[in-house]
Amino acid sequence: MKAVLVQMAPRLGDIKTNLNRHLEFLDRARKDKADLVVFPELSLTGYSLKDLVPDAALDAAHSPVFKEILAAGRGMSVVVGFVEERDSERGLFYNSAAFLADGKVLHVHRKVFLPTFGMFEEGKFFAQGRNFRPFKAPFGKTGLMICRDFLQYGSSYLLFAGGAEVLIVISAAPGRGVAGPGGFETSHMWELMGEAMSYFSTAFVLYCNRTGSEDGVTFAGGSFIYSPKGERLARASDLDEEVLSCEFDMGLVRQVRKKWTFKRDERPEIILHSLERIVRRYED
Amino acid sequence: MKINSAFVEKVLTRFIHDELAKFGFTKGVLGLSGGLDSAVCAVLAARALGEKNVLALILPYGTAFPADIKDAIGLARTLGIRTKRIDITPQVDAYFRRYPTKSRLLKGNKMARERMSILYDFSAREKALILGTSNKTELLIGYGTIHGDMACAINPMGDLYKTQIRELGAYLGVPGRILNKQPTAGLWPGQTDEGEIGNTYAEIDAVLFELADQRKSRSEIIAEGFKAEVVDKVISLIKGSEFKRKLPPIAKISSRTVGHDFLYPYDWDK
Repeated sequence: MKAVLVQMAPRLGDIKTNLNRHLEFLDRARKDKADLVVFPELSLTGYSLKDLVPDAALDAAHSPVFKEILAAGRGMSVVVGFVEERDSERGLFYNSAAFLADGKVLHVHRKVFLPTFGMFEEGKFFAQGRNFRPFKAPFGKTGLMICRDFLQYGSSYLLFAGGAEVLIVISAAPGRGVAGPGGFETSHMWELMGEAMSYFSTAFVLYCNRTGSEDGVTFAGGSFIYSPKGERLARASDLDEEVLSCEFDMGLVRQVRKKWTFKRDERPEIILHSLERIVRRYED
Repeated sequence: MKINSAFVEKVLTRFIHDELAKFGFTKGVLGLSGGLDSAVCAVLAARALGEKNVLALILPYGTAFPADIKDAIGLARTLGIRTKRIDITPQVDAYFRRYPTKSRLLKGNKMARERMSILYDFSAREKALILGTSNKTELLIGYGTIHGDMACAINPMGDLYKTQIRELGAYLGVPGRILNKQPTAGLWPGQTDEGEIGNTYAEIDAVLFELADQRKSRSEIIAEGFKAEVVDKVISLIKGSEFKRKLPPIAKISSRTVGHDFLYPYDWDK
């Protein structure tokens, strides 16, 4: 299994240019015999769209943009980030990730946790997704998350409980903090989460972040892949555009789960029961 | 408060290069005073854009600060960046002959705005964007002239405290003469920032770091051993200068108003 993480800097609000770059990267990945190509969060549009969100919205089912990506990605699995507005839900804009394979859109995840604090204002411009649902990808059961989703405790758990063997996180994470020895301090946090979540889930974690800057904010890069036993398999540079390519054996999930029985011993019904109690007793 | 200077250099040179490129520029212009902040900015700009693409304007008022002019020229020569020296005395004096004042502050503000006006003129003449040199300390306590030295197209320095800029400057190889100079706004001979503010940058930055970066409260900071009068002074300076960090409020009467809910990215269509 060969995965390619395209750590790129999309051009803000310019779908045409971004689409062309996606097609070029897909072409290269095909020559590189990739099975999976992952682009960052909002890879087709850029991140800080604000009031441009409605202008950048696409319906994955009908958009000519998706037809071109599907054609260029034939024979591979592809994850792209985009602003989603379905014909059936006009006027609702989601920060979404589409998983494309076998010439069709296999799954769309809508970002659930929209950061809206400090420098972040996604809740002002996007509608909130409501689901974490693993799906069957050509290489195994897979779950998608978008940036902040991955930092919220429950997201990875739900995908793990649903049977995911691969967790794919697409991100537009700005770098913050320069006191540490390496790159941005926040990059270190993402890696810790990647290591922990791959361990907890005995699953592969693929994290594809973007680079470049928008409105003075520098996106940190530092994309990575962790194995189901918390081992870092690959890591991209901090600030540069980079195509991170990594081969791994999906059989490792089975091998690790023989040793670490977290999945076997998991009891979602107990979690659900306890959650129901907690939710029922919610008080202000 | 410590910074990884090598990484900061990488982020800031990339920022300068990419911001200019986005807006279709290859050249940058900045005011070079002979002080630390503009020296660090000049080094970063030379590395980001190439020395031939940086124009340093040396804009003295008369001959009150010969050492600073010498340091500015020396640094520019070492870096290989272009310089232009324009004495702002005629236009400043012409104005104050008509509207005399004894206030050194009014004179200093006028000089800062004359420099701004020349920088913007050369920005257009040279097709070069203005690189700002206001640091985080100045921005937070409002130690700068609104529409004067605070005016710029992009500011690579604005998230670094003065003490951090000194650390970065040492790493970048800024000459010791500039590095160890008493910071001054050059408002009058003998004026120093620390003398005018009444505290050292080390003191102010330590308090600012606790307040702004660590988001601690007044009482928490005082409990940590900082002097109450210094903390109170810094808080009052921050509050009193918010207007310098914002565009002026627009009276809202329609349903979509500039500055309120007409919200587009700065990098719109760039």
